[in-house]
Parts: sequence; C-alpha cells; structure tokens
Amino acid sequence: MCGKVLKQGLMYAVMLAVAALFVFPFYWLLISAFKTKAQIFVLPPQFFPDPVVVQNFADVFRATPIARAFVNSCVIAGGHTLLALFLCSMGGYAFAKFPGAPGRDKLFAFVLGTMMIPAAVTLIPVFIVLTRLHLVNTYWAMILPGAANAFGIFWMRQYIAANVHDDLLAAARIDGCSEFGIYWRVALPIARPALAALGILVLISSWNNLMWAFIVLREKSMYTMPLLIYLLHGELRTPYGMVMAGGLLVTLPLIAAFLVFQRSFIQGITVGALKA
Amino acid sequence: MAGHMRAHELPAPRARGIKYCVPEMLLLVPLVLAGCLQAPPPPTPAGQRVIVEVWSWNIAAGSLMALVPEFEQQHPGIEIRIDMTGAQMQSRFLLSLIAGVGAPDISQLQLVDAPKFAPSGALMDLTDRAAPYADKFSPSFWENCLHEGRVYAIPWDMGPCAVFYKRDLFARHGIEPESIETWADYIAAGKRMVEASGGQTRMLALSVSGLFQFFEMLMQQTNGGIFDREGRIIIRSAENVAALEVLRAILEADIAVPINTAGPEYYASFQNDTIATYPLAVWLGGSIKDYAAPTAGNWGVFRLPAVAPGGLRTSNLGGSVLVIPDQCQNKEAAWKYVEHVLCTKEAQIAQYRNFDLFPCLMTAFDDPLFDEPDPFYGGQKVRRLFAEDIERIPTLTRTKDWNEAMRYITQALSAWETKKLDHEVFLSQMAVKLERQLGREIAPGHEPVEGG
Amino acid sequence: MAGAAQHRGAFWSEVWRYRHFYLFISPFFLLFAVFGLYPLGFSLYLSFMKWDGLTAPVSVGLENFVMLFSDEMFYTALWNTLVIGLMYVPPMFLLAFIFAGILNSKRLHLRGLFRVGVFMPCITPMVVVAIVFTLLYSAESGLFNYVLRAVTRLFPGGPMAPIPWLESEAWSKVSVALLLVWRWTGYNMVLMLAGLQGISDDYYEAAIIDGATRWQRMRHITLPLMRPTLVFCGLMSLIGTVYMFDEVFVMTQGGPGTSSTNFGLYLFNLAFMDFRFGLASSAAYTVSIAVFVVSLVILKWRRPATD
Repeated sequence: MCGKVLKQGLMYAVMLAVAALFVFPFYWLLISAFKTKAQIFVLPPQFFPDPVVVQNFADVFRATPIARAFVNSCVIAGGHTLLALFLCSMGGYAFAKFPGAPGRDKLFAFVLGTMMIPAAVTLIPVFIVLTRLHLVNTYWAMILPGAANAFGIFWMRQYIAANVHDDLLAAARIDGCSEFGIYWRVALPIARPALAALGILVLISSWNNLMWAFIVLREKSMYTMPLLIYLLHGELRTPYGMVMAGGLLVTLPLIAAFLVFQRSFIQGITVGALKA
Repeated sequence: MAGHMRAHELPAPRARGIKYCVPEMLLLVPLVLAGCLQAPPPPTPAGQRVIVEVWSWNIAAGSLMALVPEFEQQHPGIEIRIDMTGAQMQSRFLLSLIAGVGAPDISQLQLVDAPKFAPSGALMDLTDRAAPYADKFSPSFWENCLHEGRVYAIPWDMGPCAVFYKRDLFARHGIEPESIETWADYIAAGKRMVEASGGQTRMLALSVSGLFQFFEMLMQQTNGGIFDREGRIIIRSAENVAALEVLRAILEADIAVPINTAGPEYYASFQNDTIATYPLAVWLGGSIKDYAAPTAGNWGVFRLPAVAPGGLRTSNLGGSVLVIPDQCQNKEAAWKYVEHVLCTKEAQIAQYRNFDLFPCLMTAFDDPLFDEPDPFYGGQKVRRLFAEDIERIPTLTRTKDWNEAMRYITQALSAWETKKLDHEVFLSQMAVKLERQLGREIAPGHEPVEGG
Repeated sequence: MAGAAQHRGAFWSEVWRYRHFYLFISPFFLLFAVFGLYPLGFSLYLSFMKWDGLTAPVSVGLENFVMLFSDEMFYTALWNTLVIGLMYVPPMFLLAFIFAGILNSKRLHLRGLFRVGVFMPCITPMVVVAIVFTLLYSAESGLFNYVLRAVTRLFPGGPMAPIPWLESEAWSKVSVALLLVWRWTGYNMVLMLAGLQGISDDYYEAAIIDGATRWQRMRHITLPLMRPTLVFCGLMSLIGTVYMFDEVFVMTQGGPGTSSTNFGLYLFNLAFMDFRFGLASSAAYTVSIAVFVVSLVILKWRRPATD
C-alpha cells in the first residue's frame, strides 16, 4: 500500500517536472519581457526580474508600429479563418448531402488529391499571381491562398455526414427554405463543434505564419506581429527587451485562444491524423 | 472519432436558425474591413513635406542619419526617414521591386549587387542627373553602376586595400613593415614572424571560405578578372594564374591560421597575439575600433604588397552604392538627397571622418583630412595611404552573375587548395563550369586548355 | 445517336437539378485554379527557365536540373535535413510514446494539465520560440550553459567548457534538433494518445488471462495496432523536416556556414535571396516528387498488422 502511494507520488513528480520543462521557455519569455537588455544577459541568470521593468512595452509601442501590426494580424487571421470556415463548411456540406450529384465522388477524390501538393512547389507562382492581381501588400494576399483547403472540406464533410440528418434537411425543404438557407440555418448550427475545431486550427496557423507574410507584406504598415518581431530581432544591435515584450504580446492571445478551445483543437488534429 | 459527438443533444436547428444568422453574418465584417483598410496612402497634398524613405544598414545608416539635419535645413520641403531595415534587406528589396510596391525611395546596395538590379528596369535612370559627376568617382567603381551606358546607381563608399598590422608584434620580432614591398617580402616576413614567436603568432587569418576574397583582391593587382566588358568569361588567363600563384605561395608558406573572417575568433584576435597582420580593405578599421578600442595606438598600416616589384600596391574589396527604385513617388526629392550625401565633398568627408566610410568621390581626396595623423594608428597618416593609386585600380566587371560565379569559385577553390590543383587546370574547369551555369560565352584567348 | 443525345440531355438535367451542389463547391475549385493548379503548371514551366523575376525569362531546357544536381549546396542541404531528422525524430517518438502512455492510464489525475503543458509549444509562433531559444542557447550568458556548468561543477573535472550551441558547425544541428523535440513532442503525443485509445481493452484483458508479460503485450498488441498512427507521425515528421523553415530561418539562418541549412531554407534562399526562380522551381519539383514517392513507400506500412 505504502509502496503504491510512493510510486504514484513519484509518477506525479515526474509528470509535473516534464510539464514544467515544456512550459519553461514560456516562463523565460514572460520574465524576459520584464527585464532590461542587461538583465537578460546577466550572469547568473535572474529567474525573477529584479527590478521588474515595464519600459520594454512602452518602447515597443513607441518605436514600432506594433499596434497596427496587432490589428493587421487580427484582420488577417480572423478574415482567413472565417473565410476558410465558410468555404470549407459549404463545400463539406455539399459533398455530404448531395449524394446524387453527377461526378460527386470523382470531384471529392480530386479535392483530397490536392492535399498532396506541397506548398514549396507553388510558393513562387502564387507570389507572381498575387503580383499580377495587384494583391501583394494587401490583406487578401494573406487571406485568399489556402482559404479553401482540402482538409477543411474533408473534415466538415465527415462531420456533417454523420451528424446532420437528412430528414431535417428534407423538412426544411418542405418548409420552403432555400438551399443556401438550409446549409446556413440548418446544417451549420449543428456543425458548430466541427467549426470550432477547424477554426482554431486555421486561426493558429494563420496567426503564426511568418514566411508568407515575409514574402507578400511589403510595407511596414501591413506587417503582422510575427513579421514585425522577426525584423526587429534581425536589426544589427537587437533590442532584446522590445523583442521579448513584442513576443509576449503575439503569444498571449494565442495561448488564451488555445486554452479556451484546446479540446476542439486537439480533437481537430487527431481526426486529421486518423483519416490518413 | 468525432463523428458521434453530441449530435443528439443539439436542439432542433430551425428554432435556433435565425438566432445564428445575425451574429454569424456579423463575423463577415472583418472581411469587408480587409477590403477597406488596404487603401493606398493619399498623394501628398501641395505644401506638405515630402517624405523620402531610405533603407540602409549598420554604420552606413548612422552616417546617413548624421547628415539629415543639415539636409533638411537646406531643403525645408523634404523629410528624410532612415530605416535600418533589419534582416534580409536585399531580399525584401527585390521582392518589392518584383511586386511593384513597398520599395523605399532610396536604397543602399552592395556594389557587387548593383549590376544585378541595373538591367531590371526597376531602378530609376540617373544618367542625366549624374552626368556632372561621371568623371569624379573612382572609375573602377563607376563602371559597375552602368548598364548599357545608362547610370542606375551612385557610388558611395569603397574599400581600398592595405595591410593592418600590430606595431608591438613587429617591433618585438624586429620586422620592418616598410621593408615589405611585394608578396614575396610579405611571406618572408611572415616566416620570420612565426619562427620568432615560436609559432604563437601567425602572419594572417586565411580560411578556405576566405580564399575567394583574397583571390578577388589579388586579381585586381594582376589585372585579371572573371568577365570582360562584354560579359564574356575570361577567368582562364595568365593574370589570374599569377594571382593564384601568390595565393598558393601564402598557403604553402604555412604562415596563415585558418580562422573565418568576421567570426568570433577573428574579432578576438584583434586583442591577442595570434595574428600579426590583416590584409584587407579600409573598412576593417571600423571593426577594429569597434571590437578592440583599447588597442588604440598599437595599429599601423602598410601598403598592400605588390605581386611583382613595382606593381600596383592597392586593390578594392566591397563598397556600396545608393539607388532610387523606379516606383519611388518623389524622385526629385530622392535625387536631391542622394546628390547631397554622395556627390558633395563636404558630406563625403564628414562620412569618412565620423564613420570610416571611404569616399568613392575622388575630388574629396585633396581635403586636409587625408593628411591628418590618426592617433588610432600611432599617428600615421593612413587616410592618404589608402587614397593612393585608387584611380589605377582596374575595373573588375561584375555583371549580374557575380554572386553566382563567386559561389561556384568559392566551392571550387576549396578543392583547388586541398587537392593542390594546377592553376591552369583549375581555371579551365571554372571557365567550363561558368559557361554552362551562367550561359555566357568564353572570350577568345581564354578558352580552357587541354587537360582542363 | 438519339439515345446518346437523350442521355446527354438527361445528364445535363441532372447537373441542373444539383446546381446547388456545384455552386457550393465552386469557391474551392475557383480558388484552387488560381492558387493551386495554375501555380503548379507555372512552376513546372519555370523549371525549364532561367528567371530572376525582373527581366524576361530565358528558356534553358534541362539545364536547371543539371545545375541542381551539380550544386554542392543542394546535397549539403539534403544531408543536413537527414541528419537533423535522425537526431530529433527518434527521441521525440520515444518521449511522445511514453507521455501518451501516461495520459492513457486512467487512474492518474492532472492529465489535462500535463497534456496542455506538453502540447503548448506547438501552437506558439515559431519566431518567438526561436528567439527565446537563441537566448537560452547563448554560449556566454545562456541559461543552458549556465545550468550545465553548475551541474558539472559538482563532478570531478570541474565545470565543463561552455557549449557553442549556435556558434559552431558541430553543435548547430543539435540545437535545432533539441528545439524540434521540444516543439513537436506534444503534437505527436496527442496523435499517439488517440492511437492508444483506439485499441480496445479486450485485447489486453485476453492477453493478461493468457499470462502475457508487459513486454509481450507491448510487442504483440500495442505496437502492431499503433502502426497506422506511427506511420502517420513518421510521415508528418518527414514532411516537416524537409520543408521546415521558420525554425532555422529565425534561429540560425542556416548557419554557421551552411551547417543547419535544411532543404526548406535552401529552397527559400534560392527563390527569395538569390532570385533564381527557375532553379528553385526545379529543386522544389525534384524534391517534392522524391518526398511523394517516399511517402507512398511509408504508407505501405500503414495497415495494422493484426493477424
């Protein structure tokens, strides 16, 4: 009995230690944001900032357009996510609930096939296409590519096929609801859990996107938070205090969103794996 | 997995349908906003100050910044904003040129990059405006600012070469820097240095990745090169063989230590006795002052050794230019600034005095600054030393493929060194490789030799 | 004739009947045409061109491919990709598997907390993560060296020399690999947990009745049934390592030298540092096809080997 308790205790200790190890860099980010540059590099390292400095936040707001970058990030991640949810749920709904449509299965196989195309191959041409459409340096350059993704359609189709019953749709049709109305008012509300999972997935990848932002956002006023911080970090004498403060600001909303939606999120990636 | 989640728990959808409709419609607002927020900035109304944005880096940006107040005072309608743009500047500049949006009004470029941009049609043609200054800049530099006779860039600073040395080490081991006139003298002095110090001190730092830079420095002394003015390949030449012979002699004399230029060990060596000399460009002085300020007074400079007695005792490495992208909205204002900082003697002298940027503008050379003793170099008049014979440095035609060619040659030089390849064979191989990779023809008289 | 026409008429009337279906899926196909299909073709065309994005493209036939296969940097990048992959994937799989096992034991409390903690790294912006690790890795004043030295001080031989994590060619790959383990263990853990939960308890109960040891149960039940999950994780790791970008772009810029340049960064440099769009396209096509073929081979192992 006693041995068992000890074993359990040890298990918890190991679990806590591991979790702490994984969370530690976040803690380091948090405290570094409240240190001066000298404090960041002092030996021995300060595990708690002494003194606590808030100047970094004032500096980063004064010296960089970070407020604007925050708005840009919100519009881009929000716009991209909503557009993706709209297009994927509509496509998924169509593939799930119009079984008789000619060519449906072939089209669906085609959609799945597009998942095989790595972004690396289309990187340059998409940039050129956006240039020709005069969309470079606009929000659309970040929002449009990848908005209708095959995984999202697949994911919504699976969910809607299993959870939205045909008799509900038939009843709505008899009531004279338009086809779009049926999708929007009948199917979508039922699919909310799936939308949440897909949404948080898309939101996080969109919020974190650095490479594409680097390529298509050409003016400071259009920078997203990650791009702004990357360029700030790349300056000759890196203003580490500001970089850490900015880093904290770009990370916090995401962690908050993750903590709220973590169940949906983890479900999302799990289902993504199981389909393969 | 998720298929059976709570479907049965959901209330009848029709009852909640309308309720969902409105907030979810509202969620589309950001999309609409996305369309509106990207409106381009309105054109500057008359009477308002014109803003000129400049991209520059490091010390150079600081130098430009120092000139702003004076310029703005003389041109009240113009506001200059210097942007030390951080990482990947060249990459972002090119992306902006291709996209046709987002480039600054003025940008700094490395000299070797200028020929890459000149033929693009994305830079402003400066020919007419720059005409009065055409013969005032170092000719070897000016050539690389042209494309088909049109001017697309204005030279800024250049990198005349000489040898930085540590006075205490030379004194301790009884070596006279003035006695070194050729590379053969330099190697002999190096051997004495290594021997006298018991191997503690090496004559120079030279690693495999630094071979190309040394080769580039030497090929200007022997009048060699990679491309001729027509852009044809001339890498296999007697001049380049002569340059490689010097390079090999230095390597075989065992006087060099394989430390990477600009690595931490390199900077540390400024303050210890591992390396006695640094044959490099004038801008190294800025780095030494930056990293090893306490060593002031212990440094000296002697002229670059010649390949043969009586030969050219200087060369050029690095340097930069300013360009104005064609998408710039305020070309007149941008040009005025470029003209002010690069084409006036006063501004160039100020930049050299305060920021160690050696002027490309040769009319600046008669300034008294060049004859001032510099206490950092023990009172030596190093500026005059660097300025000497600059007009005699032959033009090294870069073409837009310079960086690519440099990469191939750098890779191949490593094999040249480890396998002790014959110079003619090596250069012949490079000629073939460049011909194939760059799609350029080999100039007559520079064909690869048999066995190459 | 008449029959065919009639048939065709019937087909189109069917299509018309299901017009909403086509309407609903049309945005996907429209966007895919612009941002997927056309770029795919364009990229193929570029593979046979020399183009810097500014001047007119020049046709060079197969030169790009010849050039690619004679570029030492290409092989260096592939080699680095392989080495980094081999350095981080095995420890990551092992950790993820152990953690998934812990989370799967229903008797333990605090599992939610543990899961969130281990998972959090893979949702954070890579740029921030890389910068924080740059600080931690600093040879002079980084926390890692500080702790290592503090610990080794207790042993004979005294404190070890500081490790040049990011400053030396020998260590840069290790540093990237450590970062990757930290970042992606949670992701794989969650996938493996789902795999474990998919195994019915009945198998284990039957095995226990038959007197199978813990190891035998692992060897004959867990691992075979986990095979699809492990294969999927392997596939994701393969793709992730080949096309990895942010990690090296921010933390090491592929250096020192070229010691941590993986294929993703090599490709990016070809395209957006050197602006050799043709060569970059041919490199992207070549490696994508190779990755595709390898993926198919890996997927062959996907089916659970139950019986």
